[in-house]
Amino acid sequence: MMISRRDFATLSVACVAVSRSAFAQDWRNSPNALVEKFAEKGITDILGAAISQREKADRFRVLFKDFFDIPSIGRFVLARFARTASAEENEKFAMLFEDVIVYTWSRRFGEYKGQILKVKDNTPDGNDGALVNSYIMDNDSQSFAVAWRLRKRAAGYRVVDIIIEGVSMAITYRQEYSTIIQQNGGIGGLLAQMQKQVDEMKAKLA
Amino acid sequence: MLKILPHSQKFIIKLLFVAALTLVISSCATKPPASDLAARSAFKENNDRLEPFNRAMFDVDQAIDAVIFRPVAWTYREFVPDPVRRGITNFLRNLRSPITLASDLLQGNVDRAGQTIGRFVVNTTIGVLGFADIAADLGTPYHYEDLGQTLATWGLKDGSYLYLPVIGPTSFRDGFSQALDTFLIDPVAWYNYADNPGWVRWAYFGSVYIDARANTMTATDELKASSIDHYASLRSAYRQNREKEIRNGAPAPLPSMTNGEDDPFAEAPANK
Repeated sequence: MMISRRDFATLSVACVAVSRSAFAQDWRNSPNALVEKFAEKGITDILGAAISQREKADRFRVLFKDFFDIPSIGRFVLARFARTASAEENEKFAMLFEDVIVYTWSRRFGEYKGQILKVKDNTPDGNDGALVNSYIMDNDSQSFAVAWRLRKRAAGYRVVDIIIEGVSMAITYRQEYSTIIQQNGGIGGLLAQMQKQVDEMKAKLA
Repeated sequence: MLKILPHSQKFIIKLLFVAALTLVISSCATKPPASDLAARSAFKENNDRLEPFNRAMFDVDQAIDAVIFRPVAWTYREFVPDPVRRGITNFLRNLRSPITLASDLLQGNVDRAGQTIGRFVVNTTIGVLGFADIAADLGTPYHYEDLGQTLATWGLKDGSYLYLPVIGPTSFRDGFSQALDTFLIDPVAWYNYADNPGWVRWAYFGSVYIDARANTMTATDELKASSIDHYASLRSAYRQNREKEIRNGAPAPLPSMTNGEDDPFAEAPANK
């Protein structure tokens, strides 16, 4: 059977469409592109969108879960304490930790003044990971360094830590939480304080 | 300096010193038992042997900051235009070039010493006494060095974390070397030793402090608002930032994990 010109044209359009969709998620497999995508989505869908603070927080939660490997971060943050905690405590921690980050970030969405993120380069890091170096340009031409620690997972790269001017988010949480655990009655004490913090931040958001 | 003080004042200073020492020794942090591995490793990681004393000093410092320094820095930041503040930061940075240069040389870093000299010459002349950072525009950015960083590169550990009112977070190594930097290497100290009016030095100290306080205000406010235990998160952030300065900005080695894995950010089992 002869393929008419029209059929051929339709076929090639279909091929292009298929290959486009296959490549559309390519940024998930490139460390630099993943960070750029996160910043782009964050700015257009959340920071620059004309929606309520609560909606911004909801959108951020979706974005955060998509780009970050939260279970790995949580495990790093709890470190050895995770082993002595019960399954329920670990589960509760994972839930609260996600909330803590979502509301901590959301609190500051209103202060966005057009800062931009520029990716510089990346270096290999850990097992199958990368450290993406970027900087954020502030309004008064001041810039600060932000490094993104990435790990390759089944569906592409995921962020496991953000390091601002040498200060790692994961390490800071880990050291703060370990102090709270030691001084405020173990994991139970930490969970109670995290719950209180989340409730307060949530109430302020409305 | 103690020589010129009258006898009674010397006695009071000695008494205060003994009182402070007693307070420091009596408020040492208790080490968790060896059987509690998680607590023991966290204790080691935090390296804060004087935690009860430091926490008390932290409260004093926060109170002083809330009443005096933060409001002054806030007013300065709010009412002085950005370019002027930037100029003052540049001027103060240029003024401490001798400290940076001495540290560069003591660390055997000839390249960075050359950069410091070049920056000083260009910024002091073309940059009008250092108010404009022309050298950075020409491709030689500012870097910060001090004696504490030098001692760290020589292999001296920080001793323990130390928190002092007004000074803020530091360590035994860095607090001690900061005093040496301020009183021995800083050209403003020598200007003062040469019988010049004392107010110059106090004005200089005040400017450095308020400039630094204003520049770190966003970061410190954010840390305070986002932490449950402000003291602990500041201790962690301060130390990491300090480590970065010592490494001259090179990326940190991967943090250690306690479960024997080679990658602390390995995929969590629940995720697989």
